[in-house]
Amino acid sequence: MNLELQVQERENESTVFLQGEVDVYTASTLKESLLPLTEKQDEKVVVDLSEVDYIDSTGLGIFIGALKSTDKHGSSLKLVGLNDRVSRLFDITGLNEVMDIEEGKREEA
Amino acid sequence: MKQIESSLYQIYKEMLSNYLESKNEHTLYSAQQFSKEMIEQDMSPEDMISLHLSVFREIIQYVPDDVEDSFDVLLEVMVGYGLAHREHQSLRDRQRELESELNVAAQMQQSLLPSDPPSNENGVELGLISVPAGKMSGDYYHYMTDDHGRLGVAVADVIGKGVPAALCMSMIKYAIDSLPEQRLQPGPLLENVNRVVEQNIDNHMFITMVYGFYDPDVHQFHYAGAGHEPGFFYRAKTDTFEDLKTKGLVLGLSKKTSYNEYVAEVELNDMIVLLSDGVTECRYGNDFIERDQITALIRKYSHLTAQEIVENVYRDLERLQSFQLRDDFTLLILRRNM
Amino acid sequence: MQVQTRVDIHSEWGIVAARQAGRKLAKEIGFGSVDQARITTAISELARNIYLYANQGEISIEEVASAGKRGMKVVASDRGPGIKDVRSVMEDGFTTSGGLGAGLPGVKRLMDDFDIDSEEEEGTTIISIKWLR
Repeated sequence: MNLELQVQERENESTVFLQGEVDVYTASTLKESLLPLTEKQDEKVVVDLSEVDYIDSTGLGIFIGALKSTDKHGSSLKLVGLNDRVSRLFDITGLNEVMDIEEGKREEA
Repeated sequence: MKQIESSLYQIYKEMLSNYLESKNEHTLYSAQQFSKEMIEQDMSPEDMISLHLSVFREIIQYVPDDVEDSFDVLLEVMVGYGLAHREHQSLRDRQRELESELNVAAQMQQSLLPSDPPSNENGVELGLISVPAGKMSGDYYHYMTDDHGRLGVAVADVIGKGVPAALCMSMIKYAIDSLPEQRLQPGPLLENVNRVVEQNIDNHMFITMVYGFYDPDVHQFHYAGAGHEPGFFYRAKTDTFEDLKTKGLVLGLSKKTSYNEYVAEVELNDMIVLLSDGVTECRYGNDFIERDQITALIRKYSHLTAQEIVENVYRDLERLQSFQLRDDFTLLILRRNM
Repeated sequence: MQVQTRVDIHSEWGIVAARQAGRKLAKEIGFGSVDQARITTAISELARNIYLYANQGEISIEEVASAGKRGMKVVASDRGPGIKDVRSVMEDGFTTSGGLGAGLPGVKRLMDDFDIDSEEEEGTTIISIKWLR
């Protein structure tokens, strides 16, 4: 189970592209890259999940930690491109109500 | 110690002379058995080499210098092996220690869960199974009947598993215990538990939970959920399953969270199924077990008692996953039978 | 009068020299070949620690006597970075991770007495003794 991660940084905005699975094995990789971004004031952090097919509860915990961090540091977090399985997880946990989430799948060419 | 050494010396001398004389397999077999005794007595490899050399010297009287010197090199190498061997032994001892510590902790954890079997009176029947993936569980369950025969039930799931999850799980137990006046108010109960969790939990942890109670006088199930995997409601009349959906944020994220309360009218033989996500996140190969596979299993065993249903469903799912549980597993079934 | 032998450790040659001096003294004191090999292995580990992590230091060896027993004392001292957490370095399993202090549990096992004094940024002194049985 692998997770590939790419960060694109622009002024006051960074996008994290993820590919693979965010689970108990890969969660720390995500945490190390995502958390520092949310600690910059006014930073808009976007996480692109369109290439992520599975997130487990430990992975979800990282997003929760990041969300708490944005509240503390005055940054923002947005998740985009969730597939059905991932989207369901955010649904069940009620996180879709407190997080900025844009569903919509990227069309494969 | 000296005595043991001299008797070992004698035994080894006999073996070695025997072998030099007859070269038979029988002696080699004795040597193999001998090695077990040496290990038992903690003899290091370098001591063994040294024993061999002294015995050898005595037997053949004259050992060529080259052979004698070659043992210097062998000894030096074996000292390293001896160290590794002893380190291995001490690590093994420490592992045993940790394991027994963990066993004690697991027993303590068990004592946090209800110990009496669920009573099947008051027109309602309860079946429950909870199996940790490791020694300790991050799942919590609770059931309790009050003086009016109302049965309160809860299933909570701490993210992750093992010791960290288990430590968190005890928090849920104490939080629920400290709120006796809210046993009949699922929403406020979750709100209070959430406050406790929010103050005491690491930033990246959270807990999901569902709480409800069945009132046998009016045949209603009142419940509320905090981001928990939806359970099922089985209607006996139509033989169908519906999701027991609840809206509500996971515990531990935000101090001010409120939880909606829901009511289900329960008819004869209807079932309420609560589970932890270890049930729906069961994997076999790369596939997930779908929710309709679980309802199919429940239906398959629905002619049995509630306890037998949960046990059979667990057994089937365990086999599907080749007996390797990836996450703690809890399944609770409540059925109206009067 | 007891003679103390000191060997500076700033290269792998120093390690070999320390071993040689150690083996010679061990033989003179009357240690058997197995204990000779153990003492030299301990000296090796101590010297390597100095060479790899402290760059410079010394190994000193001498004969000691106490309560009618004869023994050999090996002292390794350096002015290197010091060991931050001595306890974790002395734990088994640390050896395999390499790094400063690796191999010290082994030295402790090879010798009879073992004492370590380390201060961050100051250096480390390790005193160990093997008694003749």
